[in-house]
Amino acid sequence: MNCKNWEERIALYAGGDLTAASKADVERHLTECAGCRILAEGIKDSLKLLRSAHQEPIAAGYYTAVRAGVLAQMAREANQRRPWRRWMWVSAWTAGLALAAVFFIRPAQKPKAHIVEMRAPEVQAALPEPKVPMSPPEPVVRPVPVPSAWPRRAVAPVRRTIGPPPLGEPLVVKLITDDPDIVIYWIADRKGDEE
Amino acid sequence: MAPPLEGPETLTGVLEAARSGDLAAFEILMRRHQRLVLVAALRLLGKMEDAQDASQEVFLRLYRNLGKVQGCGNIAGWLYRVTVNVCHDVRRRRTDETSVEEAAELVSGGADPQQAASREEENRALELSLRLLSEKERAAVVLRDLEGLPTEEVALILGVSQATIRSQIFKARIKMKDFVERYFRRRV
Repeated sequence: MNCKNWEERIALYAGGDLTAASKADVERHLTECAGCRILAEGIKDSLKLLRSAHQEPIAAGYYTAVRAGVLAQMAREANQRRPWRRWMWVSAWTAGLALAAVFFIRPAQKPKAHIVEMRAPEVQAALPEPKVPMSPPEPVVRPVPVPSAWPRRAVAPVRRTIGPPPLGEPLVVKLITDDPDIVIYWIADRKGDEE
Repeated sequence: MAPPLEGPETLTGVLEAARSGDLAAFEILMRRHQRLVLVAALRLLGKMEDAQDASQEVFLRLYRNLGKVQGCGNIAGWLYRVTVNVCHDVRRRRTDETSVEEAAELVSGGADPQQAASREEENRALELSLRLLSEKERAAVVLRDLEGLPTEEVALILGVSQATIRSQIFKARIKMKDFVERYFRRRV
């Protein structure tokens, strides 16, 4: 009989890892084989010794150190999260202040438009048509002469505006009539768009 | 093994409290499972310093995953699995591990076989015999033979078949038996 084949089953038998049928087979073999009995006893003895050593209590200080380390690490992680929360609040306050500034602080006053007061002639029946042009003068566009030295180049015509330079603010003409309740405003755009 | 709890309701209550941020409840959880984690880590790593580091990491993972643990319903199994994984990571990072050859050399300085083995010698024999095993064999032996878990639970924790666990345990038991006999110069 080749006992090498029994080695695995004996090792499992020594640790109680066999089914009832396999266990009966091994026990039957052990009654017949002294070498395998020695092997089985040796494994059982070593397991008993190692389990006994494993059950040896560990000093309480080791456990305490582990718990303290865990709690300290948890506290560190909590502290690392706090700056983030603080920054979140700072951001919220900053945004709130910015909104308040937008709503409550008045914007700088724009320069007032020039107002030209014109008194209407004392006509009872009807007011004459104002002789102020109703629209700004149409810009005159003149093509730029292309030099003859560049005959092959297609040059787009450049438009030049002839007229009053752009002034920015609109011109407001106020017509005052005899009736204090009637005031006529005429507003002319003096932006002087170039295009 | 983890100390038995008073009942599942108690564990549920402690888990709930810990999950809601109750640090005292979490410390109760740690106290209940500290031996399970620290001793298993010590057997897997061989050094108390490394085992403490690994145990801290295991409990931190427990704190971060209290919801999952509550859902799985087997906190001990979860802790064993995480302990094995964390110890695996620690072993990979560690560079000063005693090799199998070094552990075998240490055997020559063994105790007198005629004298009863002292506790310290038994602990030393346990530590050195575990070093002779492969990482997988060691995990199987620690959970099955030292922690006393059933083979099917060990297989679940380690994520392998029961046949694989039995094969690893068989090889490990033979190696450990040979080592213990040599360590104590006991010829059977």
